[in-house]
Amino acid sequence: MTPDLKVTIAGVEFANPIMTASGCCGYGEELHRVFPLKTLGALVTKSITLHPRSGHPVPRTAETASGMLNAIGLANVGVDAFIKDKLPFLEDKQTRVIVNVAGSKIQEYVDVCARLEDCPPVDMVELNISCPNVDEGGMEFGSNAALTEKTIASVKKVFTKPLIAKLSPNVTDIVEIARAAEQGGAEVLSLINSVVGAAIDINTWQPKLTNNKGGLTGPAIKPIALAKVDAVYNACTVPIIGIGGITCAADVVEFMLCGATAVQVGTALFIEPDVPVKIVKDLKTYLKQKGLASVANLRGKVRKY
Amino acid sequence: MTKSTCRDTFVIHKKKLQNDYYSLVLGPLRKINHCQPGHFIHLQVPHTDVMFRRAFSIASIFPEQNALEIIFKVVGRMTRQMSTLKTGDTVNILYPLGKSFTLPRKSETSIMVAGGVGFPPLMFLTEHMMKRGYDPKTIHFFYGGRTSADILCRSRLKRTGVLFHPVTEDGSFGRQGLVTEPIEEFIKFRKKDKLRLYACGPEGMLKAANNLGLQYHIPGQLSLEAPMPCGIGVCLGCVVPLTAGGYARVCAEGPVFEVGEVVL
Ligand SMILES: Cc1cc2nc3c(=O)[nH]c(=O)nc-3n(C[C@H](O)[C@H](O)[C@H](O)COP(=O)(O)OP(=O)(O)OC[C@H]3O[C@@H](n4cnc5c(N)ncnc54)[C@H](O)[C@@H]3O)c2cc1C
Ligand SMILES: Cc1cc2nc3c(=O)[nH]c(=O)nc-3n(C[C@H](O)[C@H](O)[C@H](O)COP(=O)(O)O)c2cc1C
Ligand code: FES
Repeated sequence: MTPDLKVTIAGVEFANPIMTASGCCGYGEELHRVFPLKTLGALVTKSITLHPRSGHPVPRTAETASGMLNAIGLANVGVDAFIKDKLPFLEDKQTRVIVNVAGSKIQEYVDVCARLEDCPPVDMVELNISCPNVDEGGMEFGSNAALTEKTIASVKKVFTKPLIAKLSPNVTDIVEIARAAEQGGAEVLSLINSVVGAAIDINTWQPKLTNNKGGLTGPAIKPIALAKVDAVYNACTVPIIGIGGITCAADVVEFMLCGATAVQVGTALFIEPDVPVKIVKDLKTYLKQKGLASVANLRGKVRKY
Repeated sequence: MTKSTCRDTFVIHKKKLQNDYYSLVLGPLRKINHCQPGHFIHLQVPHTDVMFRRAFSIASIFPEQNALEIIFKVVGRMTRQMSTLKTGDTVNILYPLGKSFTLPRKSETSIMVAGGVGFPPLMFLTEHMMKRGYDPKTIHFFYGGRTSADILCRSRLKRTGVLFHPVTEDGSFGRQGLVTEPIEEFIKFRKKDKLRLYACGPEGMLKAANNLGLQYHIPGQLSLEAPMPCGIGVCLGCVVPLTAGGYARVCAEGPVFEVGEVVL
């Protein structure tokens, strides 16, 4: 018997729990040249904003121990060009499409989501209320419980499909923010976004990123992400999408045992662009070995001391 | 744009060229003919502490063996590890990536401007043009280095029959000085509308070549380098500012750009 990889989140069925993370798979076109996107449970687009953004000057990335820093600065084509030029490509790729949305004012989130409401290929929206790379916006929302709730409640009024709130680890108490997001009406929580970090060139004494700081991602942040998923799973009832440092099926299993229903793979795509193909295959093998009929049997089953 | 393949392959041959420069032949690989001059590969070596891939220009292809060659200089962790590879070792490559050079008209004279590890793609371009029946005397290959040890594959270049103009900063091989000086002298006495410029090398050389192209109205292309986390256009980490405003991804819209297209 082949184990069942299907998962259902907020009434939407996904072929498997493996998604690609925002900012690590563009709008899908490039990745599709390396492997067929139907391998994925879903693709999460780069953050879309109301107006196009060109992003920060280079250098925008720096390698660090077991990870990398980035300060891309939410470079994206803007919602109108996204809908016109990028979304049609994803229409027939037989994978779910989650559009990640960012903004610097509540009204911006609302305006972008209102435009996405009428786009049939969009299955869900993920609200990036946690980007560490824009001065004016992002993290403000994600680090303030009242603002988080208000942002989500405002978007709910114009967007009727399921809404995911993407949470930042750069807060005092992620559970407080998670509860506020749930309260505001988020049907799903995804976590974590990148961890604020910095790196300095010892020859020039300058930061390795023009933004001076950036977001740490990759295997280095996996233990942080797991602990946050565990904390939020124990406090909230909505499904969780686990993100942070996932590179293999074993990592996926860890996230699921801590309560994740699905996961997103980000930085690992840079190391091995077709890694989702391998993860899906290895996950099946793992379930078979453990005699589990469905991947859902793993959820929250961590045996704590 | 062509499909890219990500796969394990083998080291067929490794050769130390001179000093810290090596040649690696990798294969077997499918659809090797899709690799054109200007394309690059993104390479990962197993059992290394380097997490991210590194980009290398394709230096030549061997269709009979379904193999490709890269030429690299040891400058850091990954290239040091690559210099210890042996025949039969496994590596993982993602190929072909990027945009290739546009070939000149056969009536045009090509000026190649190569420096350091910018040499491999221009050698590929030159050998590719020879296979396509270009007259070798229409190719002037200007090759700059700090010293004689930086000028690679001299006999291979000479075999193509192109006009070879080596230049070293210390004068230990060829003419002394910077490569752009003899190029400017060369350009001055030619019909500009019959010339085509191709450059790949260190930033200063690219800047100078770009300026020559603009100043003398010579069309041409430059192949750029940038740190490349993904190499396939998804991370937006490798961008270069465009003269027209905004940014382009060096790995996807490049690495080959037109003279005057980017801000260097
Ligand atoms: C499209 C493209 C094509 C390329 N083609 C070739 C090719 O054909 N042959 C070739 O040899 N190379 C080529 N390169 C360059 C090659 O990818 C890089 O040199 C690569 O980074 C080498 O990896 P490494 O781990 O050995 O060195 P790295 O550790 O990445 O170091 C690279 C360089 O940066 C310097 N450096 C590292 N860290 C710092 C720091 N903190 N501060 C200042 N300087 C630092 C190092 O001294 C070294 O000079 C190409 C690059 C691109 C983008
Ligand atoms: C280059 C890069 C760009 C990113 N851009 C975005 C973005 O636009 N919006 C967003 O919500 N997250 C963005 N992220 C964060 C990822 O979606 C993910 O939360 C984070 O990288 C952790 O997962 P990982 O360790 O698997 O990469 C980006 C990450 C990277 C590495
Ligand atoms: S290296 Fe990632 S976009 Fe070019």
